[in-house]
Amino acid sequence: MNDPDLKALTGLCAKCGTCRTVCTLYPERKAEIAVARGKIALIEAAMGGEDGDAEAVQEALTDCLLCGRCERACPNQVLVEEIVMKGRADLAEEVGIPAWKRVLFGKVMTSPAATGIARKAAAAAQRLLPGKIPTASGLNYRFPDGLGGEGRTVPKLPAAGFLESLGNAEAATGEVMLFVGCVFDHVFPEVGRAAYETVKASGKSVAVFRDAACCGLPAMVSGDRRSAAECAEANVRRLRDADPGAIVFPCGSCLLMFKRNVFSLMPKGSPGYDDAVFVAERAVDYASFLLSSGVLDRIPDPPPGQEVGEIGYHDPCHLSGTLGKGPEARKVLSRTVGPAFAEMAGADLCCGYGGTFNVRDYPTSSRIGENKVTVAARGGTKVISTACSGCVLQMRDMAARTDPGLRVVHVAELVHQALFRK
Amino acid sequence: MHTEALSALGDLFGDRLRTSLETRICYSFGATRKTFLPDAVVYPVNAEEVRRTVLLANLHRFPVVPRGAGSGFSGGSLPVRGGVVLSTERMDRIVSIDTENLYAIVEPGVVNGTLKEEARKKGLFYPPDPASLKFSTLGGNIAECAGGMCAVKYGVTRDYVLALEAVLGTGELIRTGVATVKGVVGYDLTRMLVGSEGTLGIVTRATLRLIPLPEAATTLLALFDGNRRSVEAVNAIVAARVTPSAMELMDRTAIDCVQALMPVPLPEGTGSALLLEVDGPEGQVVREADLLTEVCRAHGALEVRRASDAGGRDELWKLRRSISPSLLRVAPVKLNEDIVVPRSRLADMFAFLSDLSARKNVRIVNFGHAGDGNIHVNIMISGEDADETRRADEAVGEVFRKTVEMGGTISGEHGVGISKAPFLEMEVGPLGVAVMKRLKECFDPNGILNPGKIFLEESAVRE
Repeated sequence: MNDPDLKALTGLCAKCGTCRTVCTLYPERKAEIAVARGKIALIEAAMGGEDGDAEAVQEALTDCLLCGRCERACPNQVLVEEIVMKGRADLAEEVGIPAWKRVLFGKVMTSPAATGIARKAAAAAQRLLPGKIPTASGLNYRFPDGLGGEGRTVPKLPAAGFLESLGNAEAATGEVMLFVGCVFDHVFPEVGRAAYETVKASGKSVAVFRDAACCGLPAMVSGDRRSAAECAEANVRRLRDADPGAIVFPCGSCLLMFKRNVFSLMPKGSPGYDDAVFVAERAVDYASFLLSSGVLDRIPDPPPGQEVGEIGYHDPCHLSGTLGKGPEARKVLSRTVGPAFAEMAGADLCCGYGGTFNVRDYPTSSRIGENKVTVAARGGTKVISTACSGCVLQMRDMAARTDPGLRVVHVAELVHQALFRK
Repeated sequence: MHTEALSALGDLFGDRLRTSLETRICYSFGATRKTFLPDAVVYPVNAEEVRRTVLLANLHRFPVVPRGAGSGFSGGSLPVRGGVVLSTERMDRIVSIDTENLYAIVEPGVVNGTLKEEARKKGLFYPPDPASLKFSTLGGNIAECAGGMCAVKYGVTRDYVLALEAVLGTGELIRTGVATVKGVVGYDLTRMLVGSEGTLGIVTRATLRLIPLPEAATTLLALFDGNRRSVEAVNAIVAARVTPSAMELMDRTAIDCVQALMPVPLPEGTGSALLLEVDGPEGQVVREADLLTEVCRAHGALEVRRASDAGGRDELWKLRRSISPSLLRVAPVKLNEDIVVPRSRLADMFAFLSDLSARKNVRIVNFGHAGDGNIHVNIMISGEDADETRRADEAVGEVFRKTVEMGGTISGEHGVGISKAPFLEMEVGPLGVAVMKRLKECFDPNGILNPGKIFLEESAVRE
């Protein structure tokens, strides 16, 4: 491990301990190795030639949700997410990337066709799952224990993805581009559809980005920078070719990738840099687009009958935290559902998903997530709305496990309902 | 460490004994930028496990270094002689808050801010407020006798410790003090343990005094053209018989530092700033804030800003709070001292520091708790220039000598640890050192607890 960038980044950490107060994982682990300054100390030791066990260091770096709370609290503004991702990548070169991730990131996620095939296979396999749990947000299957976590439930996969449901000529070109993202295309196509139709309600012509490779974030956080860069390069090139005026992201994590992380993979001077800048300048979160496009003016006053304060908003770490787009979603909700929206208890608590973290340590991920939805429900929230695919996946699972009456939706679904209700 | 000792610890702690290099690295640092690797880390969950660890240490002769959040500035939690780091972070329960007798019983790993918050919910107040209050633990606060901003009105950690339960260096579990305000039976062993930096005993439970939560608070930011006037204002405030709950002074060096990185709008010619806070019953707070404003104006304040709501107060605190983070951007290494001089000598000390900075050609940034004479003197260096480092070290020596000459102390709240060990005798004299060593002998005859701290010699476990 000897990355000059990494050295400069870690050098700013004064080991003061502020990160301990905000770390999502620290209350679970109660050990220094879980928090940012511990991880930074490990990277510094490795760079200093300390002859440690690369696998153990990788294990420590992987034990992180990348929620970014430490980074935002840090008095020295140490870029913890970048450090952890870079560290994982450096170590991946030494210890390799687990085989399942290699296939997924390198082969499946870089290809739009392959992700569709993978979903179909998974949807077929799901019919074999034993337990069904009807929840307020749709049907969930109980996942067999021993295969990825005790008590896990998974949403019923649809027969067709959102993109497949579009006609060939439909939403092919337009001044606004919608970047749906893998999850809102394949797992929750109703979210993709709601986002599409509500963005279209702006009166602008809307194209749906069809050649999308995965945004690349899952590969990047796993230290597979090559696959991540392949995804990112392909995406920004194709997006620039389409030349949209704005690119709307219903998913905060995808947005983070194009607003910020892409520049770690394609820094100034690299071949696709201009394309990445083009995309970053036009990339916008779903709520901000709605606020600027006049869609909200077309929403009739909220219908009576909704309970005051029953709808809450969950802050996705990347969207509200790193990108600072928390107020926008709240404005959209206030306009959409009126007094039914109220600030939710524990709104900014991380849902515990952390992308691949959820796969690697489901028990911890689900403890954090169950706490998240329980705090919200106890505070009187009946519908949790949010704007990130990972958060929707996680909180629907957590609701199915603890309180199937608790609904988890994307903000776009609420806007869609308000705009098009009969 | 012997494998026998490690296997005995393994029997005691199971998977709460960690010996992997990765975990040891994570307990090799505090907030001092120095690192020392321990041989092992243990996470006890009760006093019995702490006691048995120290008994094993006496049997196998290894050092035991207690550690809370590892946020100290003097190296108190660094395992300078290796051995076992005993982390208190899993002993983090608030056992009870007694609203009739006004005290809390806590385990050592409870974070200062957590107790503050829980006390607040019951209308009570735990005043000590080190800058690290959001993450530093009460065990660490007690071991270092942490101070803070409100010391000028409310005192420091020692003023709130009523009683302690602690494991001595012998492995004996002692209970000192009583939960009542009064109590004079025998020597004051509680105060002996407070500020002993983990060298006499490991606190396993503490009874801490709480007071009623003040009803209201107001913050003022007074801006002056230089230290001379702001220090005069401080003395005039004291003479006016008002005791603010904070009197923070930032001199030109600190203001420049903040302005370069995260500017706060200030009037032309600002060379010194005083941040004042008053708290108490509503009416009194208003009266006192008016009086402070008047006094500051009379002493040439260029401007006095004032806020009573949380948001406005927060805005005024921004200048003060931005200093520390901005320092690291000035230079990568700071020699962070926390001297105290009698309040009446503050202006002389600032003048001395300004002259010293010029003479030694090193950048010195000063700010601190003017109300109690405590100044944070930060000598900023690159750490890569040997001559600069030598000049900085000489400057530290001069600052300490001047401080003692003025009748002050070389550490108000950080402790001796390793960073001030060479200067201990300068302040307390040879007899002071000798008596302290005799006391150490009595609490910890085998030198098990936190060896290498406070004293320069006798810093290893006895074979």
